[in-house]
Amino acid sequence: MPARSATPPSIGFRLLLPILATALGFGALVLALTEMPLLNLAGNRLAQGRPLFAGLVLGGLLPVILALSGLALGLLMGSRRRASAGAAIVLLAGAVLALAYGLGDGAARSLGGLPPAARASLGPGSWFAAALLMTGVGLAVRRADRPGLGWLITLGGILGFGLLANSGAVGALSLAVEYAARREAVNAAIGEHLILSGAALGLAGIGAVLLSLPRRGQGVVAMVLTGVQVIPAVALLGALVAVTAGLLRALPILRDLGLSALGPAPAIVAIAAYLALPLWRGLALALRSPDHASLEAAEAMGLSPGQILIRLRLQLGAPILVGALRVAAVQSLGLATLGALVGAGGLGRIVFDGMAQFAPDLILLGAIPVVALSLGTERGLSAVEAAARRRWHA
Amino acid sequence: MRISLHPALGFSLSGLILAIASHPAVASRVADALGEPARRPLETVRLLDLAGRHLILAGTGLALVALLGIGLGLLVTRRFAAPWRPAVDGLAAAAQAVPPVVVVALALPILGFGGPPTLLALVAYGIMPVLRGTVGAIEGVAPEVREAGRAIGLNRWQVLLRIELPLAAPDLVETLRTALVLAIATAAVGALAGAATLGTPIVAGLQNQNTVAMLQGTAATAALAFLADAALLTAVALWRATRP
Repeated sequence: MPARSATPPSIGFRLLLPILATALGFGALVLALTEMPLLNLAGNRLAQGRPLFAGLVLGGLLPVILALSGLALGLLMGSRRRASAGAAIVLLAGAVLALAYGLGDGAARSLGGLPPAARASLGPGSWFAAALLMTGVGLAVRRADRPGLGWLITLGGILGFGLLANSGAVGALSLAVEYAARREAVNAAIGEHLILSGAALGLAGIGAVLLSLPRRGQGVVAMVLTGVQVIPAVALLGALVAVTAGLLRALPILRDLGLSALGPAPAIVAIAAYLALPLWRGLALALRSPDHASLEAAEAMGLSPGQILIRLRLQLGAPILVGALRVAAVQSLGLATLGALVGAGGLGRIVFDGMAQFAPDLILLGAIPVVALSLGTERGLSAVEAAARRRWHA
Repeated sequence: MRISLHPALGFSLSGLILAIASHPAVASRVADALGEPARRPLETVRLLDLAGRHLILAGTGLALVALLGIGLGLLVTRRFAAPWRPAVDGLAAAAQAVPPVVVVALALPILGFGGPPTLLALVAYGIMPVLRGTVGAIEGVAPEVREAGRAIGLNRWQVLLRIELPLAAPDLVETLRTALVLAIATAAVGALAGAATLGTPIVAGLQNQNTVAMLQGTAATAALAFLADAALLTAVALWRATRP
């Protein structure tokens, strides 16, 4: 909690705000579940469908979901105790589970008797309601204020959803149908995506270390790396494809090494070019993190430059380094999506296939793993960064 | 002033060189030097038309992003919003984990082909960095200065307008530059959703193996980004120089 140093805002406002927010949140949830289409029933995976609403889809589960989430929001609003936050988490998790089961069940029932090409996809109401419930869970986790609880809930959520998907309860939803049809391609794309962004991160890391070695000319390095950031990624990818093609014509030996103008090579170089700036800047800041006094003390103690680098500079600078790595890794995962434009594969290929076919489910099938990977990396490395800060800056 | 104009000079020079490189005759030469087969280049008129559309799309997006992002950023740094800060910070961090291509792709089924999904993606993706930057800029203002302002009897608005905003201005300009670069890059990605921008010849060139058109689009897009950034830097430098 931030310190309330100066005069607090009026008491009425402070009391009114949570009530207002709760009412707004619950109102939005009711609206999403009752007024917006929860499912979209179409003749095939590309056709425009007709919307299905809660009465047909959720049936008797609707009041259950609303009661569970209403109770949870009431608990969150009415009490600041940790126990009530915990109860709210349980209630909201129940609501999410009921919604997921209800949507899967509703999809299966509405598809009954229709030809196999027919699809039931999630409508705006479902996405909106899911987002609201997740926000509620996030607020409750924050209120409960237990270290590691967020991770536990995330893990539990993934596990619960995996079990639900495995049991076939949501198998009728178009996203699940699409995944079942392309399981191999999606899994391969996730692997390619990780390799692509990992390779770019490695290349950029090596580049950043090499660029920070010379004592002179760091100003020029800064200018060039900042300049690269200005170039749109689409343009840099195009330019690198042309340059690689020219290079291959000039030096055909490179072709024997497996290099090609369209493929992972130009994509990795392009992505690495963008990652070099945060990594190089982070490295420079990290190496400068110990103050003069500690450096002099270390020298007086007889530590060699190598020991000073490892024991002092890199340890004190560890949080900064991890922070730079986090920024670069998240950027890398996002940019790797564009790699498919030059035939590098990865999840971008699925996204672009979906765009070309105008198939929303296919786009989602590519987009969801990208977002999940980026979010997971962001959260994970943030936690490492915080741990490093605690460890060396107690 | 000379120091603040320096990067603008380098950027406008790079921009001009790239703009020349996007000219049909020059791009054909470059492609020839790279050993590419001769293909029909894009005419200058078409290129300028695309550049205009690119600029309008990115400019509209940037204006919306700046208005919403800075506005929200100022709102969440007011004292009454303090309890909401963790939620806003979390949301901002989460939103940045979604790459612009994915936002463009996800907007496609909802808004259809063309400019609108790109504009939405631009705004949806740009707000959070600007909001974050604004919050950082305002929080960079030393609390003592703020307290001093209150002590001499300034009201909340006066503290914001006369102390916080002027002191946060350099950081705010940096934030706007980031948003500008992002807007131009996202508009280029919009070509994938069928928006007519300078990204169009790149995407089409990659598909039809028309390297000349692709190089033209590449050079022109990068030129636009450099020139726009330089223009923003110059405008800020001029504005600073004319202020007392």
